[in-house]
Amino acid sequence: MERTGINVDQLVELLVKNAAAELTTYYYYTILRVNLIGLQGEGIKEIAETARIEDRNHFEALVPRIYELGGKLPGNMKDFHDISACPPASLPEDPTDIKAMLTVLVEAERCAVRGYTHICNLTAGKDHRTYDLAQAILNEEIEHESWFSEFLGEGPSGHYLRRGETSPFVSKFLK
Amino acid sequence: MFTKEELSRYNGKEGAPAYVAYNGKVYDVTGSFHWKGGKHHVLHDAGQDLTESIGRAPHTAELLEKFPVVGVLRG
Repeated sequence: MERTGINVDQLVELLVKNAAAELTTYYYYTILRVNLIGLQGEGIKEIAETARIEDRNHFEALVPRIYELGGKLPGNMKDFHDISACPPASLPEDPTDIKAMLTVLVEAERCAVRGYTHICNLTAGKDHRTYDLAQAILNEEIEHESWFSEFLGEGPSGHYLRRGETSPFVSKFLK
Repeated sequence: MFTKEELSRYNGKEGAPAYVAYNGKVYDVTGSFHWKGGKHHVLHDAGQDLTESIGRAPHTAELLEKFPVVGVLRG
């Protein structure tokens, strides 16, 4: 693959860092979901739950490709957390502040969109398998971002909620 | 005023601040999560002029503008 001009070590490092971001975000969505209560919180719970499951799916879809390329995951969760490609999210001081929660979420999704766009740019026409995976994840991250952006009132996204199964783009990598 | 050689010392490593240049301005990105250890998303190093590489980045230079300008890069 290096004959195509791709630096495999750098690509693997990027994939590992983005896998770390997915898993830390999955954790954040989990504690967030617990705190999404009341009239406002309940309204967001459905998309937060979808994004939670899909971010975990992204992590699971990335892992095989990392090992196929000769990489590996860190030996412990703390090291993995500390190399995340995106700032690890945390609950706002006031866990009933739904707008603050949404702001954290939309920033996390935007970071992910930039990360997978970057991987797509690096692999396009060179590493078809990684490109296909990164592009599938990118499609789902763009939808997550649009859902939260819409909730923040930044404008209509034109996107629909999931109907049926989660991960319509990434599921083919999980079978 | 920074020369390229002076800028390269601000590489974010071993306690050094992390500075990057864009379009003649030098920005201090030391506090940014995305420049931890003087590296940005594996491929880019602090202490460099990023004017050309930002064109290939998945974001615009707008993200740099929130960081303080600490000088200008000499020709």
